[in-house]
Amino acid sequence: MEIVDPRPLLALGISLACALLVFATGRHYGRRVLWSMGAALLKFGVVISLLPGAMAGEVYLFRLVEFPPGVGIGFRVDLMGLFFALVSSTLWIFTTIYAIGYMRGEADRAQVRFFGFFALCVAATVGIAFAENLLTLFIFYELLTVCTYPLVIHKETPAALKAGRKYLIYTLGGGGLVLLGLVLVQHAAGTLSFGQTGLLAAGAHDGPLGGGPLGGGQLGLIFAVLVLGFGVKAAVMPLHGWLPSAMVAPTPVSALLHAVAVVKAGAFGILRVIYDIFGLELLAQLNFTQALAWLAVVSIIGGSLLAWRQVNLKRRLAYSTVSQVSYILLAASLLNPTATVVAIMHLANQGFAKITMFFVAGAIEQGSGRTEINQLDGIGRQMPWSLAAFTVAALSFIGVPLLAGFLTKWLVILGALEGEAWWFAAVMVISGLLNAVYWLPVVYRAYFRPVTGVVADPGWLLRGPIIACAAFVVLLGTTAHFHLLPFSVASEAARVIWAEVAN
Amino acid sequence: MTQPQNIPKIPAAGYELPLMLLTGLIIAGCWALIPGALAGRAPEFSLLQLAPGAWLLLRIDPLGVLFTATITPLWLLALIYSRGYIGTAHRDRYYLVLMLSLPLALGVAWAGNLLTLLVFYELLSVLSYLLVVHEETPTAKAAAAKYIVYVLVGGSCILLGVVLVFYLVGGQTFAAEPMLHAGLGWGYLTAIFVTLLAGFGVKAALVPLHGWVPDAHPAAPAPFSALLSGVLVATGAFGIIRVTHQVFGVELLRELGFMHWVSPLAAIGVLAAAVAAARQDDLKRRLAYSTISQLGYITLAISLLGQELLVGALLHISNHAMMKATLFFCAGLLLRRAGVRRVSEMAGLARRLPWTMAAFTLAALGMIGVPPLAGFISKWVLGMGTLATGQPLYLLVFMGGSLLAAAYLLPVVYIAYFREPVEEEWKNKAITERGAGWMLIPTLLAAAATVILGVAATAPGLPLSLARVAVSPFW
Amino acid sequence: MAAALTVSWSALAAWPHWLIVLILLPLGGAVLTPALYALQRRLVPWWALLVAGLTALTVLPLLWRLAHEGPFSYLPGGWARPYGVELRFDEFAALLAAAVALLAPPVLLFSRRYAARAVPAGRLPFYYTLLLLNLGGLLGLAITADLFNLFVFLEVVSLSAYALVAVGGRPVAELAAFKYLLMGAISSLLILLAVGILFALTGSLNMADVAQRLPALATPAALTLAAAALLVGFMLKAALFPLHNWLPEAHASAPGAVSAVLSGLVVKAGIIGLVRTYQLFAGVELLDTANLGAILVWLGAASVVMGSFFAVFQHDLKLMLAYSTITNIGYIVMGWALASPQAMLGASLHLFNHALIKTTLFLAAGALIYRTGLRTLEELRGIGRTMPLNCAALALGALAIVGVPPTAGFVGKWFIALGALQAGRPFFALVVVFGALLAAVYYVRIINAFYFREPEQKAVVTAREVPWSMLAPVLLLALLCLGIGLLARLPVEFLEPAVARLLDGRS
Repeated sequence: MEIVDPRPLLALGISLACALLVFATGRHYGRRVLWSMGAALLKFGVVISLLPGAMAGEVYLFRLVEFPPGVGIGFRVDLMGLFFALVSSTLWIFTTIYAIGYMRGEADRAQVRFFGFFALCVAATVGIAFAENLLTLFIFYELLTVCTYPLVIHKETPAALKAGRKYLIYTLGGGGLVLLGLVLVQHAAGTLSFGQTGLLAAGAHDGPLGGGPLGGGQLGLIFAVLVLGFGVKAAVMPLHGWLPSAMVAPTPVSALLHAVAVVKAGAFGILRVIYDIFGLELLAQLNFTQALAWLAVVSIIGGSLLAWRQVNLKRRLAYSTVSQVSYILLAASLLNPTATVVAIMHLANQGFAKITMFFVAGAIEQGSGRTEINQLDGIGRQMPWSLAAFTVAALSFIGVPLLAGFLTKWLVILGALEGEAWWFAAVMVISGLLNAVYWLPVVYRAYFRPVTGVVADPGWLLRGPIIACAAFVVLLGTTAHFHLLPFSVASEAARVIWAEVAN
Repeated sequence: MTQPQNIPKIPAAGYELPLMLLTGLIIAGCWALIPGALAGRAPEFSLLQLAPGAWLLLRIDPLGVLFTATITPLWLLALIYSRGYIGTAHRDRYYLVLMLSLPLALGVAWAGNLLTLLVFYELLSVLSYLLVVHEETPTAKAAAAKYIVYVLVGGSCILLGVVLVFYLVGGQTFAAEPMLHAGLGWGYLTAIFVTLLAGFGVKAALVPLHGWVPDAHPAAPAPFSALLSGVLVATGAFGIIRVTHQVFGVELLRELGFMHWVSPLAAIGVLAAAVAAARQDDLKRRLAYSTISQLGYITLAISLLGQELLVGALLHISNHAMMKATLFFCAGLLLRRAGVRRVSEMAGLARRLPWTMAAFTLAALGMIGVPPLAGFISKWVLGMGTLATGQPLYLLVFMGGSLLAAAYLLPVVYIAYFREPVEEEWKNKAITERGAGWMLIPTLLAAAATVILGVAATAPGLPLSLARVAVSPFW
Repeated sequence: MAAALTVSWSALAAWPHWLIVLILLPLGGAVLTPALYALQRRLVPWWALLVAGLTALTVLPLLWRLAHEGPFSYLPGGWARPYGVELRFDEFAALLAAAVALLAPPVLLFSRRYAARAVPAGRLPFYYTLLLLNLGGLLGLAITADLFNLFVFLEVVSLSAYALVAVGGRPVAELAAFKYLLMGAISSLLILLAVGILFALTGSLNMADVAQRLPALATPAALTLAAAALLVGFMLKAALFPLHNWLPEAHASAPGAVSAVLSGLVVKAGIIGLVRTYQLFAGVELLDTANLGAILVWLGAASVVMGSFFAVFQHDLKLMLAYSTITNIGYIVMGWALASPQAMLGASLHLFNHALIKTTLFLAAGALIYRTGLRTLEELRGIGRTMPLNCAALALGALAIVGVPPTAGFVGKWFIALGALQAGRPFFALVVVFGALLAAVYYVRIINAFYFREPEQKAVVTAREVPWSMLAPVLLLALLCLGIGLLARLPVEFLEPAVARLLDGRS
């Protein structure tokens, strides 16, 4: 049931208004904090208010403008998008609190820019989540790129500028591919709107390359272009190079990149490509997802191996993201209901666990200036809360039961078996072990090596979000059967996607 | 004799007694379940849904009750012992983890389905890391690292197997009826069997997956070594029982013939580990190899697929737990009171530590299988069972294991009692049992239990009767 | 009320002489400017603005009539078709006319303060005269229907443009103007040659008439020569790769407002010329126009890539913008030459949109130079803090030139890319995307320098926003860059029939 409702636009508008207010009046500390926190909470309220209706099967639509005929900006809240928006807006609250604490020492000008662009990034993320068509998705996807750039180069050091440049080259390149895909899809399908099972599947289309109906090769081109385009942000190997470099940015930005917005946006884009643009039925005939799955496997294993080699904590985190986000892609490419659930669910699982780790890494850096793993000796005794949270997140990635990561691992393996692809199940197990190999030594050092040096107390503005996010990791792992909690949303979203196929 | 100067009194943390009381209550609760179990009742409780169809579910069946009834007293003994053994370093963490692992162990015992078993088993294993590493010496750290690697790899194997079963037949509850059937195909069944057996086998010290055992035991504090050998390793064997009898079922396993591969493996484990044990000078290491050997008994018994054999296996889990706990407690006393780790340093120590060595001797005899001690009973049942299944060759293995047990335990006793002490080495040390009550009492209690479990083996409510009830549905 | 308004509008639009007024107004205004300067020099800028405003208003009834009646002609003096002079207002003429009408008033408003500083006082009357002449010439070029007048107006535009480049009096500018003049002269000669040949062959100068007669001719050599001369001539005017090298210096060294007109509008004269050439030779079977298209599409693609490539490595802001013009001309030519309905539609849209965007950018850049006297990105770093509004406008324009949806720059490129697919030539869709990416690179360089670097120059630190009479046009145009993108469905619907008609005529 489709209902015209302005709330998606409102959610976007709140973030935009927040950005404007911060830019205009943010030099004053109190106002900056007020706007950011107020907007974060308000937006969360708006987004969550969409949840009951969406779970009841309502789809909220709002078409804003149509510039060339048939191509326009519009919003459509389906469960998959809503899930992404919920994850991102929840994390926004925590990141805002954390950032208020983290950025305290910085110049006002830098803070204004930070909070302003941060709000813009979150606005773009909501735009991506609620995009009604591929063009809207693309616009906000690019907006996200552009607005993240000032955050990446926040420190304005040569290294930061270099990283920023690398980030832009990668993401704009990816954006270019998406744009190409956009044109190809528009030409082939005549529309860009989501909300039908497979834009490209509906009826016979003329191929974009001329001459006859859409064939496998042409579809393959579209698929490759879109997946690689979104894959840049999702940091799929070998397109991941920007992610570790971007670690020069301040921690809240890393959180944004890895958990709240950027990497997720790429993964979400690929989900849209699979479920909305191609559609399950078409893809089932085409076998492209097999290639995507292997690409994901390369990232899962390769990312972990590279993470293992890093000696810098944040870089290890970055490579770990490369590995973790590809779980989503692997799950999405398996094309069965179980895997669909986890493809959506892992958006949250990875987000909360990874943001916890980044927050802790930031708190350590803030409190003691330590960034290398071999400097972390004994830090668990000096920062017990933070490192406990870190451990929870690490165990989640390893896949210890009752934590979010276990759910992911369980469902991906189950999905792999349902897809008659046991080797992917093996990949998941190996990846879990690799996660143990590079996370446990960090935890071990923190707790079992003698304490070195002093660490300043990070304060509750930093500690609070850390603990809250770790609590979410536990919550996500244990609340699968509660209505309106994340898992139920993800599984309902998957059910809807598959119900359309059944019809 | 004066209070020994080199043994500082450990100040109380204050929470030991409440914890002991709490554990006492838990024991009472677990024992209270015995009558129901004897009557064959198996109540179920759903806890939580982890994923669609995948429930955390408790099912308190006789098998589980037997297991909990055996292991919970060990916890109390270990707690009491810890009061005298554990220093102030990391003490809070030690007690916290120890007390957290008790409900997890109960969860393993009462797990109502494979997923629940996996969850509690994994959590228990991971948490135990903190106990293995407790002393934080380089050896302890290295041993703990080895332990966690084994455990995680094993856990991953189990996960694979569990998901496979879940995929094929859904989240079934453990029951008399096996979950799997031959129609699923040889490939799947092999994969499930290999992953699950390897996974639980790591914990059950199944040769060749036993590598962590000889390192972890000496490194861990003595009360936890006792639990490690008595309980944690046994959870692996317990998991194997669940897999073989409730996931596969005897019929299916006979049909598939997998056990033809497992039995020799276990038999080799029994003998090889015993030989290895005899070569160890480090007492706890020797005991660790003994554990491998004794767990080999259990695995072998399970793999031979006989009703009496399974009874014997369950019985041996209980009895071995008690005996091995006694032995490790004694090893801890020797370490704390005499500073002795090595067998070769124990000459004449029985004179200074008479109660300790008496308990040790009792448990050692039990382990060898001298009647009427606990070990004799389980080995008798095992032997009878072997004959009943018509595989007398393995009876030789059991007997060989016992002989070898004598070979690696009796020398310890002999040295402690009869070899002349090298007086110069410890005449100046005040080696005494005085003031070691916190450690000595649980040791003696455990030793007494060894006797009781042997003498009163057939009493209702003790392991034998429970094991018969627990096993009967599978045949 | 509405009905009454409609009636009065159509009555107004029905007045037949608007077309001639459209040319006479700016040309007449230009002629009167020096006289006014002699009388009251302070009024000159206002006078020019008034003329531009009136001209812009004149376009409205024409557009109205075009929208309701379709293309229409005006025959001054009442001579019958092939013999008399004919003015014709079709959609393509309307595009250029509308661009001129929209951009002339802001440019002139901007010029009042800007030219007072950038142009020596003695040359101010010439500046306004030339500017008005140039605009008038452009309008004439757009609506003329005969070849000779096409040439005449082209010369008006070109000559005034050379002079405008040099009017600031900087030696660099004079050199650039000379280079421009030289290339322009060659181009004019070629076009004149072609007009001569065509007249000799057909005995007619009316383009529709010539187009009808050409297919009957059997002189391939002459036809080829004429077509080639026209093609090369207009390519030079449009600065299509590889004949582009006069453009960057000329556009970059001219005063800001002039650069805006040159880059936004004057190069479009070459495009209109190419369109007209197409229309002339569409029916000629001896000449394979498909081959012509094949050449142009590649040249357009090369322009896109090369222009962007050069722009990426520029340090001078205005040079960067000038190279970007080559890129965008490439898009338009490529779109036209792809000759599929959507590509042509996209090219037509982009012709207008690029004019708007480039004017915005050059005016904003001019404002920066006006305040700081600095031109390179390196020198201008940090300017975003002291001139935020102006820089925001420039950033918006830059977004539009990259083609970020929903700005004006997106629509044209979108349809060109779709059109490339429609024509079965996906490679050129790739070129569109690649060009947009390269554009994004230099856009990022600008943003990076303006907003994320610490200012170093004193002039940057002490800079403040330009006066409102300069800032207002810049902001207005920047907003239009966004607004026209959002309202793109209007021009699309307006142009679709025209494109269809043109393609019908060809086939």
